[in-house]
Amino acid sequence: MASGSESLQKPISKAVQGRQARRREEELLVWPDLVFIEFISALLFMLTLTILSILINAPLQDRANPSHTPNPSKAPWYFLNLQELLLHMHPAIAGVLVPTIAVGALMAIPYLDNTREGEGKWWASPRAKINAKVGAFVGFFGTLLLILFNESKHVWLFEKATTLQWPSALNWLKNTRAIQTEIPWPESIRSISIGEKLFKTELLGLPPINLVLDIPKLLVEQIIPMTTMIGLPIILAVVAGKMNIAQTKRDYAILIFSAFMATWLMLTISGTALRGAGMELMWPWNVKPPVT
Amino acid sequence: MTIEKPAKPSLEERIYNYVMNGRVVKSIIRSGYPNTPRNQMLMVATNVFLHLHPTRINRTHVKITHTFCLGGLSFFMFLGLTITGVLLMFYYVPSVERAYEDMQAIQSTVRFGFLMRNLHRWMAHSMVLLVFMHMMRVFYTGSYKPPREFNWVVGVLLLVLTLLLSFTGYLLPWDELAFWAITVGTQMVGSAPLFGEANRFILIGGYEVGANALIRFYTLHVIGLPLITTVFMAVHFWRIRRDGGLAKPL
Ligand code: HEM
Repeated sequence: MASGSESLQKPISKAVQGRQARRREEELLVWPDLVFIEFISALLFMLTLTILSILINAPLQDRANPSHTPNPSKAPWYFLNLQELLLHMHPAIAGVLVPTIAVGALMAIPYLDNTREGEGKWWASPRAKINAKVGAFVGFFGTLLLILFNESKHVWLFEKATTLQWPSALNWLKNTRAIQTEIPWPESIRSISIGEKLFKTELLGLPPINLVLDIPKLLVEQIIPMTTMIGLPIILAVVAGKMNIAQTKRDYAILIFSAFMATWLMLTISGTALRGAGMELMWPWNVKPPVT
Repeated sequence: MTIEKPAKPSLEERIYNYVMNGRVVKSIIRSGYPNTPRNQMLMVATNVFLHLHPTRINRTHVKITHTFCLGGLSFFMFLGLTITGVLLMFYYVPSVERAYEDMQAIQSTVRFGFLMRNLHRWMAHSMVLLVFMHMMRVFYTGSYKPPREFNWVVGVLLLVLTLLLSFTGYLLPWDELAFWAITVGTQMVGSAPLFGEANRFILIGGYEVGANALIRFYTLHVIGLPLITTVFMAVHFWRIRRDGGLAKPL
């Protein structure tokens, strides 16, 4: 009998265990305390947006004309981060793989950091702020540096600073693409015909595979970007761990989430404000509305 | 011993009582005017809109700096977008021939049309921003921890839905901006290694953005995605209550 009622009292799952006891003495009435705040904030927003809408018209350009492309053509701003990525790697990675993995990783956060540390309060854990700052700093400026590198701005800086030419022996370091174009790769690995050499599907009566593998291209468009995007966060986490900045699961979660959000922000800023005609990198004040 | 007689109600009090506790007001607000704690709690518990809330809430969660009202404002944007969106639907026909001209008419000749369109546009941008900021506030307050893991997942879905809602709406004005933004955006879908082209074909109903794409995006924008979003919002709000209200320190 006793054991029966005991098992009844046992929480069924971790989730139920997780429910916090209500502390009535700390509670306020929703009406008026909360409803009032909600009402005021809704009112303020409505007011601001109405004034904004009276002052600034939503854009309406010329009628769509499929036959001439404006330069540059840009996606809506919240997708310009992906469009920026697109300039640096294979479109399947930038346009599909990265967003899919990003959404999956966001969803996984609570299952990876499943501790109760730092719950229910801003910056509640002891190292929350430092991890957020380090992550955001590294994410933001790391991404900026990578963009500048891929746009050969280090070459520009070198030539500006020394008035010398960039040494031609280092041409392959001009940007990532140069690794493909400036290194004398043997012809044999530039076009490996998968269908002819590896998978002879026509022997099985299947259609032949017309895939031609270009190893240097694969390296530049897929392997290097993937390694960078996976490797740099791992390095950041390991270094932060070694320096005792990150110690608990919550610390690592804050570090990586902040780095990710800052990276996303930098990519959005770059795609929006630093890319002009031809998606060239330029100062924001040189970015003109697209010419059609 | 003197017995204190209650003062006779003044005229104002009688009018107040007559109106506030009269048959009309009572028929709308059963619990009576919310001027006592009992009536205030009944007000929240029995009103279909207010009962999304609990009747009482932890002191710290009322502080603006805890949530900055971001989730609530995201929801408010959704409501505002629904209202202005319905009004825009009165004038807008999603056909290649008419879409752009209808937009011009809304902007110039329809009375308050410009206000509806501008509000709809700026609210859409605000909603994307607010949802992002809401996610950050939930993250940095550590409010995704057990038992709220699943509600975080629902939240991420809401974020994706918000982006899709905004993206599908972007095509509808059928101007240069709309056309090329959607062309560029859907090209990304097309680049997927598996079924990329097939998915792009399904999404825009052809190999190029055209009349089929317009009607697909329109249908998704005005009914498909809003319905799905409403369902997930219902789950989101229900789960906040089921998980014991907002997260608080242990
Ligand atoms: C359309 C989008 C969304 C709407 C309308 C919405 C609405 C709300 C509202 C009204 C609250 C109550 C507290 C508050 O205002 O902060 C809330 C809490 C919450 N939201 Fe959202 N939300 C949305 C998107 C998201 C996203 C993108 C996430 C996370 C990825 C998320 C995760 C959560 C969680 C975990 C809570 C509970 C917070 C706590 O216990 O303190 N929501 N949401």
